[in-house]
Amino acid sequence: MSFRERSAAEIGAAQPEAILAPILRKLVEDSAAALAAMPPDAREAATQARAAAVANLEGLHAQLREALERRGVRYHRAATAAEAVGIVQHLLRRARRVAKSKSMVAEEIGLTRALRQRGIDVLETDIGEYVVDLEGRGPSHITAPALHLNRAHIRELLARAGHDVPDDGPQRLSRIVRDTVARFFEDCDAAITGANAVIASSGRIVIVENEGNVALGVSHPKLHIVVTGLEKVVADEAAALAVLQVLAPSATAQPLTAFTHVVGDPLPGQERHVVFVDNGRSTIAAEARYRDLLRCIRCGACMNACPVYRVAGGLSYGSVYMGPVGAVLSPLLWRDGRYADLPFASSLCGRCTEVCPVGIPLHRMLLELRADAAESGRTPTAERFAWRAWAAAFGGGRGRMAVAAGRWLWRAMRPLRRPRARDPRVLPPLDPIHSPARLAPGGPAGEPPPAPPLLRPPEPLIDAFCARAAALGAEVTETYAPQPGDRLVEAAAAVAATGSLLLTGEAADRRAILGAARVVVLVDAARIVPYPADLAPHLGTGDALILTGASRTADIEKQIVRGIHGSDRLTIVLRGTG
Amino acid sequence: MARVALFAPCYLALARPADAAAARAVLERLGDAVETVTGLCCGQPAFNAGARREARRVAAAAIRAVREFDAVVVPSGSCAAMAAHEWRTLFPQSARAADRAAAVREFTAYVASHPNLERVSFRLRGVVAYHDSCHARRELRLTEGVLGLLGRVDGLEVRRMRYEAECCGFGGAFCVKLPEVAAAMAAAKASDAAATGAHVIVSTDLSCLLHIEAAARGLGLQLEGWTVAELLARSLA
Repeated sequence: MSFRERSAAEIGAAQPEAILAPILRKLVEDSAAALAAMPPDAREAATQARAAAVANLEGLHAQLREALERRGVRYHRAATAAEAVGIVQHLLRRARRVAKSKSMVAEEIGLTRALRQRGIDVLETDIGEYVVDLEGRGPSHITAPALHLNRAHIRELLARAGHDVPDDGPQRLSRIVRDTVARFFEDCDAAITGANAVIASSGRIVIVENEGNVALGVSHPKLHIVVTGLEKVVADEAAALAVLQVLAPSATAQPLTAFTHVVGDPLPGQERHVVFVDNGRSTIAAEARYRDLLRCIRCGACMNACPVYRVAGGLSYGSVYMGPVGAVLSPLLWRDGRYADLPFASSLCGRCTEVCPVGIPLHRMLLELRADAAESGRTPTAERFAWRAWAAAFGGGRGRMAVAAGRWLWRAMRPLRRPRARDPRVLPPLDPIHSPARLAPGGPAGEPPPAPPLLRPPEPLIDAFCARAAALGAEVTETYAPQPGDRLVEAAAAVAATGSLLLTGEAADRRAILGAARVVVLVDAARIVPYPADLAPHLGTGDALILTGASRTADIEKQIVRGIHGSDRLTIVLRGTG
Repeated sequence: MARVALFAPCYLALARPADAAAARAVLERLGDAVETVTGLCCGQPAFNAGARREARRVAAAAIRAVREFDAVVVPSGSCAAMAAHEWRTLFPQSARAADRAAAVREFTAYVASHPNLERVSFRLRGVVAYHDSCHARRELRLTEGVLGLLGRVDGLEVRRMRYEAECCGFGGAFCVKLPEVAAAMAAAKASDAAATGAHVIVSTDLSCLLHIEAAARGLGLQLEGWTVAELLARSLA
C-alpha cells in the first residue's frame, strides 16, 4: 500500500486529526517555551555534539568498545537487522520471559516479533507500547506510540486482553498496565532497553524515561541488554548533557524526563550487553547529502510540528519511523523501494527543519530524495511525460501558448475543481467576488497567536529551582519530618532550570528509589547549578540518576498520571539557604 | 529610475492574470519602469518533484529572459524563494544564475524597501486575515515585512490567525498527489482563517489562496483570497 492509500483510508475512517490536532498544537507551543528555558545556545550545543559524533563514528566506537569492556559491559556490533536479532537471541538462549522497554531500533529490526517466534514471552513494559502491542498496528509516534488511540479505545483493548477495566480514566488505565508490568518484572529472566546516548570516553549509557520501567530493566538482577543504533555514540559527558538539554523539551515539552539514567558498571551478579545496530547507518554516514540525518536524537519534534502528520497520523507512513524524519530515514534504511513514496508525503513547508533541535535540514533532504527517485527512473511514466511536455513548453519559448491553453483548461474544468462539500447542507451562494464590500468582517477577531516566550532575566538559582521542582509536583521544604517507607538520599547537585536532582553512587540505587513510599532528597543550596549542562563536573564516574519530578506517564491522551513504577511523592529538603 | 522585470509566475498568469497587472500598477506608482515577463516559469514544479533536468531547462529560459534588469520582482513567495535560492542549486557553476538569483525580490519585500514608498499613500477600509505562506515565512523570512507593509494601508485592520505557522496544504504537485491530506490541511487552515471573523484572506502567494478558497467553499465558509498586490493596487489613493 502507498502513503496515498493509507492516508486516505485513515482520514476516511478514523480522522486522526480530531485526536492529534489539539494535542500537537499545544505540544509545539509548549516545546518552544521549554526550549526557551534552556541556555540560549542549547540547540547549537546539541547540534555540535551530534555533528562531532557523526563525523567520527568509527573513532568513537573504538574508544567506546574499550571503555565498555573496562566496566565489564560486553560490546556487540551488528551489520544488519538479522544479525542484531541473532545476537540478542543468542544472549537470551536460556531466557523464557523478557521485559522490553521502548526502543525504536528494536522496532526497526523487528525484535519483539522475532523473539516471540522463538517461543520467548516478551512483554512491552512501556504503557504506550503495551497498548499498541495489544492493538497490533504498531506505534504511530516515536515518543508517544499510542498517540492515535483515545481512552475509550484503550479501555476496550485492555478489556479484550482480559483486564478488569471499570472506567476509562487515564489514571485507571495507566495503573492497570503498570500492575501487569510490575508483576512481570518480579520473575522475568532478562530485560531489554534502548539507549539515548552512549558515552565513548567513559562507557556510560544514557537512557531517558518517565515511568520507571527502564529503571527496573536497567537493574534486572541477571541480564540487561541494550539495543541501540550505531549513531547514538557521543564523545563525552558534556556532549550527552548537551543532547539531554534539547531532547525532552523538543519531545514532550518537559524540562527533562522523570528519570535520566546514566548507567555505569553492571550490578553484582548482573550481565550487561550493548548491541549496536548498523543496518545501513554506515552507508548513510558515507553520503554527504544525508550524513547529517544521523544527528537525529529521535525526539519527534518534526512530526509534532508537521501538518501532514497532523492530518494523516503516524500509521499512514507504514513505517516504524514516521513523520518528516521517517520520510527521510525509511527510504535510506530500506533501499528496496518499499518506502520510495514517503519523500513525497510532504508539502515542503519546512517546519520540520525549523523545529529540529539538532539542525537537520529535513525538507532539503526530502528534495534530494525526490531527485534521486527521478534519477533512478522511479517516476511514474505519465508523470515523466508530463514534466517533459512542461519543460518543452516553458523551456522552449512556448510558455505563452502553454499558459493560454492552461487558462482554457482551467476554466473548462472549473466545475470539477469544486471539492465535494463536507457539509451536506446546500451551500449559500457566494457574494460577488472581489468587491470591497467583502472587507467587512463577519465577527469579532478570534484568538490571536500567542506572543513568543520572553527571554526572562536570570532568576536567583534557588528560587528558580524551587519553582520548577514544585511545578513538577515535588514538595519543597526546609525541614525533614521522617515517615515510614522514606528513601532518604543526598543530591550531588540540583538544576535550577529543570528542578532536577542528581544522585550518584549509592544514592542512585534504582530499586531502592522505586520501592520507597516517598523519596526524600536533601539538597545543599550551594550545589544548585543553572542548567543541565552544568552537571558535567558532578556526574562522578559510576552510576548516576537524574530525577526530575516523580515517576509519571502521559501515554494516554497526553494526560499526566503520576506514580507509575515508583512513588508519586517526591520531597525536596533544601538546606544551606540561610 | 530602476529598470524592473515583473516576473509573472506561470500559475498567476494562468489562474488570475489580473494580479500581475495589479502588481505592475503598484510598481509604476512607485516610479519604476516595469516590463512584465510572462509565459515563463521559475522551475519550481519540476524541482520539487525531483525532475531536475526539466527544472534546469525551464529555469534557464527564465534566467535568460531577465538578464538585463536591475531587479526581478516576483509576486509570489514560493516562486521568489525558488529563484533566489534554488537557481544556484540547479546551476552551481553558473555566475549568471547566481547574479540573477541575487537580483530576485519578492514583490512585498521589494515594495517595502522601495525608496519612493513614503511618497505613495494607501487607503482602504476593511478587515482582512493574514495568511503567511510557508516560503515567505521560512525561506524568505518576510512575515514582519509584509505585516509592516499592510500596516501602511490606512483604514485596514489585519487579523492574525491562531495557527499562522501551519501550512495550508497546497505544496504544488503535493495537492495533486495526496488530495485527501491536502484537503484536510486546507480545511484546517480555512477554519482558522474564518475564526478571525474576516471574509478576505491576504497573502503573498496566490497558490495558497486558491487552495484555501477551494476548502472554504467545501465547508460553506464565506472566504476569498486577495494577494498583497491586489490589495495594494486597490488601496492606491
